[in-house]
Amino acid sequence: MSEEIMLEEIKYDKVGIIPCNGEEICEGTLTRHASRKVLDKLRPGSTVTICLPLFIAGDKGEQNFAKIFPTITVDGCDKRCSQLSTERLSGKPSHSIIVSELLKGHGIEVPQSRRTLTEKDQVAVDVVAEEIAKKVDEILEENR
Amino acid sequence: MSNDFMEMTYDKFIFRVENSYLYHPDECWVKRNGDLVTVGVTDFFQKTIGDVIFIELPETGTELTKGDEAGMIETIKVNVTLISPVSGTIKEVNGGLGDNPQWVNTEPYGEGWLFKMAPSDWEADKKELMEARVYFSLMEKKITKEMAKE
Amino acid sequence: MEKKVVVLPCSGIGKAYGEIGRQAVYELVEDLRPDDVTTTCLGRLMIDDPAAKALVQNKIVITIDGCTQDCARKTVESSGKKVECALRVIEAFKKNRDLKPEGILELGEPGLKLVHILAQRLNEEVDRVMRKEQ
Repeated sequence: MSEEIMLEEIKYDKVGIIPCNGEEICEGTLTRHASRKVLDKLRPGSTVTICLPLFIAGDKGEQNFAKIFPTITVDGCDKRCSQLSTERLSGKPSHSIIVSELLKGHGIEVPQSRRTLTEKDQVAVDVVAEEIAKKVDEILEENR
Repeated sequence: MSNDFMEMTYDKFIFRVENSYLYHPDECWVKRNGDLVTVGVTDFFQKTIGDVIFIELPETGTELTKGDEAGMIETIKVNVTLISPVSGTIKEVNGGLGDNPQWVNTEPYGEGWLFKMAPSDWEADKKELMEARVYFSLMEKKITKEMAKE
Repeated sequence: MEKKVVVLPCSGIGKAYGEIGRQAVYELVEDLRPDDVTTTCLGRLMIDDPAAKALVQNKIVITIDGCTQDCARKTVESSGKKVECALRVIEAFKKNRDLKPEGILELGEPGLKLVHILAQRLNEEVDRVMRKEQ
């Protein structure tokens, strides 16, 4: 049986979330907080976070997971570091989110600090986390 | 997959079991080498506890009964007591772990060994240890149960 | 005045060490050495972003990794740049074992104390590498 046929028969029960963790801008911090919120609270049990630096550094566990399971990349800005790295190392993600564009679409202000998030900034975290969770549900539904 | 190990993949984690070792249910392995046995912790154990930052091991000459406390491992998450899987006398401890506690994580079945003992009743104690394939099944159940909790 | 040093944390998301390193770099860049030190996104090196690559090539590089996986150091080196100093959060934690962070992103008081200790350590390294450069 070819590998392609075997992969089609896998029923995915997990989605890998790959935040960019960008250090330079606040949106990078948002990708971290939103992704952990999805993993820890919104969709525990159906998501896995892929650590982008570990992924880039060549960890086989992270890269193989992203090759086999569907992934959602969460980038802070339109440089799309997570999306491009994932495409290069494991394959096209099932969905890609750009936080700066998402917040603009919702009319939400970008946080002022990349170090700490205020209570007001939690709205931005929640919007990103809910978008990720929605996409997780869509991907898993498609794969049932 | 290497011939030396059995492997199980769960999500992004690969769990390994060394084929030639014997295993105690409290997540340590035992390897007989001549008159001594070498003791270490399993790959599943080290992945569960996190990065090891400090290890306390018994002194050479210490006599232990099976199940006695045999040291402590500290990580950023937990402090875990080690137990002795067999009865006997500590003959050697892995001195390299003082400066390199991370060996327990990176090489749990090799460089990360903990101590060596002269067993006092090997034939009796050996009966309570599991062969690799039996431990592997137990590990699979533990992993599935542990991950389902998350 | 042009900044001479770039410090790159791994920002790993699986362990508290990643957040500790990240916050320590922010403390260094924003509070302790705003005139001398900058940072950039590690991911930009991976995608061969020209500005990020130029920044790293033209400055002294310090990396701060969470653990022994050394992801930041490896990523910088794979871009062709030698790292002047590679630190690990876990080494700072070994010397301050009572400062166990409370969560992976929400570090709590002990975690924040460790951030501060690490930022001071980074500050010392910045002094050292800048002296060496003169």
